[in-house]
Amino acid sequence: MTAVVEKPAVSGTLEEPGGPRKAVLALALFESRRLLTRIPVLVAFAVYVGWTVWRSGKAWGDYPALQDADRATQGAPMLIGLAVLLSVNSAALRSHRHGTEQLLTVLVLPRWRRTAAHALSVVAAALLTAVCVAGQFGREALRPGAIGHGSVGELLVGPLTVLLFGLAGLLMAGLVRSAVAAPLLVVLFLFLFLFFSGMDYGAALWLLPVVEDATSNTLPSDLLGRPAAWHALYLAGLALSLGLLALLVAGGRKPAVFAGVAGTLAMTLVGGVAQSAGDSPELVRARERASVHPEQVQSCVRRDGSTYCAFPEWEPRVGDWARVVDRVRSLAGGGAHEQDVVVRQRVEARYGLSGDAALESLKRPHEVTVGTQWGGNRVPEFSAAVAGVLIAGDEKAATSICDGRIVPLMWLAVGWESDPLDALRRVRLNDTVTGSDSVLQPTDGLYMTEAQTEVLRALLDLPRAEAGARVKDRWVELTAPKITAARAAELLGLPAPEGEDKCL
Amino acid sequence: MTPTVSASGLSLRYGGTRALDDVSLRLTAGVTGLLGPNGAGKTTLLRVLATALPADRGTFTVLGHDPATARGRQEVRRRLGYLPQTPGFHPDFTAFEFVDYVAILKEMTDRGVRHREVRRVLDEAGLADVRGKRIRKLSGGMRQRVALGAALVGDPGFLVLDEPTVGLDPEQRMRFRELIAGAGEGRTVLLSTHQTEDVAMLCHRVLVMAGGRVRFEGTPAELTARAAGRVWSSAERDPGAKAGWRTGTGSFRNLGDPPAGADLLEPTLEDGYLLTLDGAGAEVAA
Repeated sequence: MTAVVEKPAVSGTLEEPGGPRKAVLALALFESRRLLTRIPVLVAFAVYVGWTVWRSGKAWGDYPALQDADRATQGAPMLIGLAVLLSVNSAALRSHRHGTEQLLTVLVLPRWRRTAAHALSVVAAALLTAVCVAGQFGREALRPGAIGHGSVGELLVGPLTVLLFGLAGLLMAGLVRSAVAAPLLVVLFLFLFLFFSGMDYGAALWLLPVVEDATSNTLPSDLLGRPAAWHALYLAGLALSLGLLALLVAGGRKPAVFAGVAGTLAMTLVGGVAQSAGDSPELVRARERASVHPEQVQSCVRRDGSTYCAFPEWEPRVGDWARVVDRVRSLAGGGAHEQDVVVRQRVEARYGLSGDAALESLKRPHEVTVGTQWGGNRVPEFSAAVAGVLIAGDEKAATSICDGRIVPLMWLAVGWESDPLDALRRVRLNDTVTGSDSVLQPTDGLYMTEAQTEVLRALLDLPRAEAGARVKDRWVELTAPKITAARAAELLGLPAPEGEDKCL
Repeated sequence: MTPTVSASGLSLRYGGTRALDDVSLRLTAGVTGLLGPNGAGKTTLLRVLATALPADRGTFTVLGHDPATARGRQEVRRRLGYLPQTPGFHPDFTAFEFVDYVAILKEMTDRGVRHREVRRVLDEAGLADVRGKRIRKLSGGMRQRVALGAALVGDPGFLVLDEPTVGLDPEQRMRFRELIAGAGEGRTVLLSTHQTEDVAMLCHRVLVMAGGRVRFEGTPAELTARAAGRVWSSAERDPGAKAGWRTGTGSFRNLGDPPAGADLLEPTLEDGYLLTLDGAGAEVAA
């Protein structure tokens, strides 16, 4: 049967359609705007930025080493990644959840191109994360005293994690058309991350997106041994594989997509294998050399008679060390006032970032250790080490001091500071200014008895010039071995201490 | 004259059910009504013509494009506006965002042009004041108008509307009829409905489907004329009538073959429709 409608036909068409590629880009902009204004994503970015700013303000005056600062950008973006995972999954399931698929099916752009737009919206979130990471790292790099080199590979981990998580959420939407699947995936990921990141699974640990080293050790960039570039390749390959698989699942079975999946899986494999290779023999030798014979890789400069030997990345910091040495020497009396020292930068790199950073005290005369970290508490710690060498002759002897010499030693260490009491608090292990406590140094620490602390406090209460004069006047007696705290007080004209004067 | 839509021998089975059975039609500009009882195949026909569903057999073209090929299907979709029977909405989108989203999926890529077009169709649908409102905050009638706006975006030459006035109150239905009448000016509209008043008021042509087949094609007047001399009034329900019901005046309105001397009444489109269904073997409920 035929129905005939006898009216003139019109040929209505869309004016100047932009084509599928342009439409995907337009849709990607639309989806990006929606994704970046989703509450979980907004909250995640706000928390990330807030945390970064707060943490930066709480840096306790430490000067950044950029080879550490780059890794510090990796953890927080995981929060953004999880928010993006949930949000992009929800967006991709939108038509299924609200029953619009039967309308969208007859529109020009097919489902796989819509999926491509969602994937591009994840790229937008990753790019915004990259901007945040660049800001975080840039802020560290611009701080006074920043040294070292950041790694592009390390800096890419944050944005790539967001990309990986987001595209995992997108693939999940194609495989499991349920809104519950993505939150379950997040829970599973958090479990795996918490479970595995606390354990040493060696090379397998690098299969996780973010591999943190729980260490405060700062190594020269070339001794880190982190396969950052390979890991970035692995993450990029994995993320792109998931994205392209999402296109395949959504019906985009095009030769280019198949080829892309093959290529990105190859990237993942290459990156995954290469990052698991472990430390090369050259790296092991370089770490050994830097740890045991740092003089072979350091350059030294002389300032006012003292010698300062630093790893290449730390050469700009020699001036800071020299200022401390000068100030400590200026408070010393006798021959110590003119004593030249050798400041040797040292690092324990043999075990990489996962090893113990502890350094043994040096026995070479008038040679003092400075570590790879600087600023904040590291300054009075180094100052105490210089003072110890000036009084005891070498580091080993200084760390064995267990008598009243601690009083002039600590006077030298903190007396030149603008707030000596605060410096004393910061250099002591338990942040105390009364009672007994350990004093931290770049190598082994010292121990201050309660009586020694009392005498030092009384000395610090005097006007600086007067205290300095009394120390210099009695320098020889004050720095004689086996002097008691009471005798030191007497020599300095201070009240006798009441506390215990017994070393541990 | 080249029709907007030309279909020949469309057939489709769902398992053992023949949803479409050798349907052929030609549509040109104006609103064509599609009447039929539940299960007649109306929605299936609309979905096939909207390229949402492939037919088992038969061919059709829309504005000269054959959707049997991928390229042809794309061309048809570029020229198509579709309002499904139960259009879904993204409740957290605003009306503007939803229509904008649909416009992008219709490959309108120039943001400025697209946004002008979205504003135009929302204005046309009477939604200018609420275009920034989230869809979840809109009434059912307004949502339906958003769906119509989405169907109209890009000025499609062929508009497929599947029972757009279902669930609307009389005022909303009247407003919607105005919109459909406007949409039918200069383009081809295929309107599936259960409401014979919609057809009487809007359509210049009407198709009646039953059992997957087209049982009538013609003008509403021709459908009405089918009942001429076959509608009569009586004090009691005439047992010989194919259908009969008590009217507001208390008398019965009977359809069928009237007895001699019956008090004949002026037929309506619905009378013609019901008698057409009866002739097609479909159940006439009254």
